[in-house]
Amino acid sequence: MFGKLISRAEESILCLLLAGMTLLVFVEVIMRFGFNSGILWAEEVTLYIAAWFVLFGASYGIKVGAHIGVDAFLKLLPGKPRKFVAILSVLLCCVYCGLFLYGGWVYLSKMKMIGIEMEDLPIQKWQAMSILFIGFVLLTIRLLQLLWSIITGKQEGFHIVDEAQESMHIARELEEMQAKEAQKSTLNNTNNKPNGGAL
Amino acid sequence: MTTATLFILLLLCMIMGMPIAIALGLSSIATILFFSNDSLASIALKLFEATSEHYTLLAIPFFILSSAFLSTGGVAKRLIDFAIDSVGHIRGGLAMASVMACMLFAAVSGSSPATVAAIGTIVIAGMVRAGYPEKFAAGVIANAGTLGILIPPSIVMLVYASATEVSAARMFMAGLIPGLMMGGILMIAIYIVAIVKDLPSQPFPGFKQLAKSGAIAMGGLMLIVIVLGSIYGGIASPTEAAAVAAVYAFLVAVIGYRDIGPMKNEPWRKQGESLPASIGRNTFHTLAAFPRSVVDKEVNRVVLDAAKTSLMLLFIIANAMLFAHVLTTERIPHSIAETIIEWGLPAWGFLIVVNILLLMAGNFMEPSAILLIMAPILFPIATQLGIDPIHLGIIMVVNMEIGMLTPPVGLNLFVTAGITKRSMGWVIKAALPWLSLLLIFLILITYIPQISLFLPEYLDSLRGH
Amino acid sequence: APIEIKFSHVVADNTPKGQMAKKFKELVESRLPGKVEVKVFPNSQLFGDNKVLEAMLLGDVQLAAPSLSKFQKYTKSLQVFDLPFLFADMDAVERFQNGPEGQKLLTSLEKKGLVGLGYLHNGMKQLSSSQPLKVPADASGLKFRIMTSDVLAAQFEALDANPVKKPFSEVFTLLQTKAIDGQENTWSNIYSKKFFEVQEYITESNHGVLDYLVVTSKEFWMTLPDDIRPIIKESLAEAITFGNKIASDKAMSDKQAIIDSRRSKVLTLTDAERQQWVKAMKPVWAKFEDEIGKATIEAAEQSNK
Ligand code: NA
Ligand code: NA
Repeated sequence: MFGKLISRAEESILCLLLAGMTLLVFVEVIMRFGFNSGILWAEEVTLYIAAWFVLFGASYGIKVGAHIGVDAFLKLLPGKPRKFVAILSVLLCCVYCGLFLYGGWVYLSKMKMIGIEMEDLPIQKWQAMSILFIGFVLLTIRLLQLLWSIITGKQEGFHIVDEAQESMHIARELEEMQAKEAQKSTLNNTNNKPNGGAL
Repeated sequence: MTTATLFILLLLCMIMGMPIAIALGLSSIATILFFSNDSLASIALKLFEATSEHYTLLAIPFFILSSAFLSTGGVAKRLIDFAIDSVGHIRGGLAMASVMACMLFAAVSGSSPATVAAIGTIVIAGMVRAGYPEKFAAGVIANAGTLGILIPPSIVMLVYASATEVSAARMFMAGLIPGLMMGGILMIAIYIVAIVKDLPSQPFPGFKQLAKSGAIAMGGLMLIVIVLGSIYGGIASPTEAAAVAAVYAFLVAVIGYRDIGPMKNEPWRKQGESLPASIGRNTFHTLAAFPRSVVDKEVNRVVLDAAKTSLMLLFIIANAMLFAHVLTTERIPHSIAETIIEWGLPAWGFLIVVNILLLMAGNFMEPSAILLIMAPILFPIATQLGIDPIHLGIIMVVNMEIGMLTPPVGLNLFVTAGITKRSMGWVIKAALPWLSLLLIFLILITYIPQISLFLPEYLDSLRGH
Repeated sequence: APIEIKFSHVVADNTPKGQMAKKFKELVESRLPGKVEVKVFPNSQLFGDNKVLEAMLLGDVQLAAPSLSKFQKYTKSLQVFDLPFLFADMDAVERFQNGPEGQKLLTSLEKKGLVGLGYLHNGMKQLSSSQPLKVPADASGLKFRIMTSDVLAAQFEALDANPVKKPFSEVFTLLQTKAIDGQENTWSNIYSKKFFEVQEYITESNHGVLDYLVVTSKEFWMTLPDDIRPIIKESLAEAITFGNKIASDKAMSDKQAIIDSRRSKVLTLTDAERQQWVKAMKPVWAKFEDEIGKATIEAAEQSNK
């Protein structure tokens, strides 16, 4: 229940950030073209939203397996060594987060000490940039969860959905589409296999 | 030593199955920690800069969002129906039409991954549905998408122009013929493969059906008009046009076609309904659709899907910039260039070396980063050897196109993997045969400067320069 | 190990700023062999102008030379350079910068941890547009791209024009497609950024100055050994003189190159027309008088003699 709530909140925030960024640029265009006026703060705010979007989203990407990687080599390994390598690589990702947490902290502290504001809004820069730290805290949490899933055998690596399952999913969708199509169109496809051979 | 460490670390991280973004980032930080006295704080600063100071990159999420609406909203289906009706009767016709779509889209966008995202999402599924192997479809689109930076406008060309002080307008002109030529080469290759592999074609449905599917697809076709119109009509920059496209795609899918969202399956006119009643109902429901979309499950799903792909791409790009930052700080590209000058090569030999160098760099770095570092170094050597700077620019852009298709850092590969939901290995294999065409094209561009120079020189002669 | 000075800037090696940086490296390394090593990073290779000051405060960059407008959030007093029609020409700018008020402004950043080491010229700004701008009324209702600066925004608002803020990377396209009608810049920037190819008219207005400030961090500057600091300062002063000479030559030759290209028409103003522009823009001074300081503005005016 609680997990679902968090999940929903995470997704809503991501959607809001992406939609907000898009609408802000859109409204700016409309204002400029339609009303011959501009929003001076729009550019800076758009760019900060972009940063929040990426850094906030990185952890969500781990959770839903959206990040891509090369898992071909990992798949060649037998069970135990594979698990070992998977654990090691998640731990290394945690090291990556740790380094950024430290660096981000020092950077933000310095910005707080100097106390300068954003260019166009009366907001302290360190506050607007705080996602640099928050994002990596969230990323660390997601990585630790992933680590636990790998240790307990619930997951094998970064990609939750395995490839066979995924292509089945695509195949099913395509079959549905084609079935619908067959009813009303005169197409006579000769090669219907969605995952047909190489070139 | 530094170079070796950086690349070996990156390779190890990737082999272990880490997300590419983190592999790039971690190998970069580790190299900095081992070999330089830069602070971790400045690395964090650099990452924040990479995520927050690249306005032009925002065209990527915007176009992804717009194509997410178009591809789930049934617009894609209508577009593909139209494409099949118009050229599906030629062997390989749909694949050719897809290449044409990429060329058209390239003419409105300055970025290659954006081209793949916008066109690929729609046509790959369409080609598969028409009976093409998915690998064939993905490979064609990943390659045709690279035209985004060769056919003007092009962000990469602007970067080159400002780094070398050549004319951006001339660069744009110079890209046009090579862009059309590469599109033509791809289409010819598709035709040959279609004959050899006996790829599907459909009977011609007749002009009446063609006109009908054209009218139905108009909502989607208008997107190209809107993007083209807002850029060339002076309303918006390519980045802004991308945002306009996203909003338009939402309107078409939710309000126009009503395939998803709060007005799903609601007819424009009910049976027996009077015209005033229909107008009143449509107006009222359309206005209500905007607030209702905010909480609508299907609309949210589309935005979230676009968000997933976008954040994955932008996170990789941000880390790739960190990687380029390490290369620069350690002066790795500089020392390579210095070595080349010492060899004292003739022009043709220098061009071979330039191509090899750029192809190697293209494996690991993002195009504008490569151009910003390499152009100022290569440009003076080229001038000394009598190579036209515009020609060198086009050579570099074609190399960048290839770089977008080579692992581990290949933006078009990532986008293609994202939209087909396939593994990187699968996408690399799909793109590889078509990549060889690009390589042949690169040789043509390198050794026949007239392909690039004809149009700008002709236009200059018209103006009497 | 030698003391390392990383000089990060955002333009090419062959620009006046790039040449100045290389000259500085040459001078310092010949005068302090083995003691100081200067590494120049051009073309925003290390950091862009928005982040370089922060990187400097973190100790990862030692020298940079951003435009004076970039210091808006670090000190209000440097805004004096953005005021329209304050300086008659570059000689006046030079006199002000070398005078007591100009030198005092160099220390205005110290509270934020930065030390100004000297001014580097770019040149006087001109107005370019897709329409001929002869009198202020011509600019009314047009959209002009500006750098982030409250003064510059106010300057265009005073003309009833619309200031538009867009990243430099987008400006060329926006001008080409006429999404933005015009912009203000120095001759060398208009030439090197190719704006003259997409703007039909350039008004030789000389309405403002666009200069750079060479800065370092206070922390780095104070930890330099006492026998080294003066040599660096002296070398920098020489390099700046060298760079300024190139800048003024380049402003002349770039202006000529633009005229010769015949891609845009260069308009000159009569005295009467120029007075109209001054009258339209000068109210901006009063608006920023409190932030900048009356004495500073007066001293700048005095430098016109
Ligand atoms: Na393009
Ligand atoms: Na690549």
